[in-house]
Amino acid sequence: MIQPQTYLNVADNSGARELMCIRIIGASNRRYAHIGDIIVAVIKEAVPNMPLQRSEVIRAVIVRTRKELKRDNGMIIQYDDNAAVVIDQEGNPKGTRVFGAIARELRQLNFTKIVSLAPEVL
Amino acid sequence: MRVLASIQSLNLSSPIPHLLLLPKTNPPQTLVKEHDKNKSRQYSSLLLVSHKSRSLVLRSQKRPQNNMSEDTDEMFDDLFDKYGKVVYKRNDQKPAAAEVDDDAESLSFAVALAKVANEVKADDIRVLFVKPLVYWTRFFIIATAFSRPQVDAIGSKIRDLAEKQFKRVATGDYKPNSWTLLDFGDVVVHIFLPPQRALYNLEEFYANATPIELPFENQNQNQFRR
Repeated sequence: MIQPQTYLNVADNSGARELMCIRIIGASNRRYAHIGDIIVAVIKEAVPNMPLQRSEVIRAVIVRTRKELKRDNGMIIQYDDNAAVVIDQEGNPKGTRVFGAIARELRQLNFTKIVSLAPEVL
Repeated sequence: MRVLASIQSLNLSSPIPHLLLLPKTNPPQTLVKEHDKNKSRQYSSLLLVSHKSRSLVLRSQKRPQNNMSEDTDEMFDDLFDKYGKVVYKRNDQKPAAAEVDDDAESLSFAVALAKVANEVKADDIRVLFVKPLVYWTRFFIIATAFSRPQVDAIGSKIRDLAEKQFKRVATGDYKPNSWTLLDFGDVVVHIFLPPQRALYNLEEFYANATPIELPFENQNQNQFRR
């Protein structure tokens, strides 16, 4: 359950370290975003000497949430952090590698690029 | 699941003492919930010792030959044949023969797609067998195109062939993109522009995958030599 003002970790090597959600893409006045949703976020903390700077506005895909993700077969996945992957307007990830475990739901939502860069798919 | 079922039925019919006398797998929860640091340290060391001793006991109770990995499976299979019954079976698991058939089918599909990409002059086409590395697909096709119209041409040709000959529809980008991805389920096609190919460097990430030799590669080299 990501909403505006939520801080998220960055799960890739794009150079951002921490994001703050400022808008959820979708219906107007949408309240919460879940895994696989695109958000507009601002970079709150960045790695020095990387292309992405602090206070830049970017788009990101949520890949991990502390809110549990339920599957039809009864499996429940809950991560320890909220994390997102920075993407550009075309939907290509800005980083070249994704860190940590990622849910396979992203593939159904047409984020196969992120899935193919991830080391582990749950 | 089969193993579990066989053990349960064994316990019911002829209880084996060392199976029943196993200590609990989970340490008591009160120990974990202690917030005092020193105490929890003590407990953790205690727990560690107890874990070690448990594993030692288990190994000593095993059969004299310590050839665990091979023996246990056969042993459990035998026991299962004698006493066990299937309590629950997953539906989605296929027999090994069917898996091999599926692999061969997707291989022919992948090679056909790679051939089409070659016809539209995609460069540096690689087909990787990634099934041992990732569970979610079998083959990766990685190709380079030199302009967006070419990306579009390769993408649409591949889509046409898949739909006409193999009756499969891809999910993924419909617009040409600097990294265009077509997802056919068991085969995933990546079409890159040269800078993106160098940037994402998927071959390096999947370096452990077995590359598949393509029939047209040798022909191309011969042509260049002439």
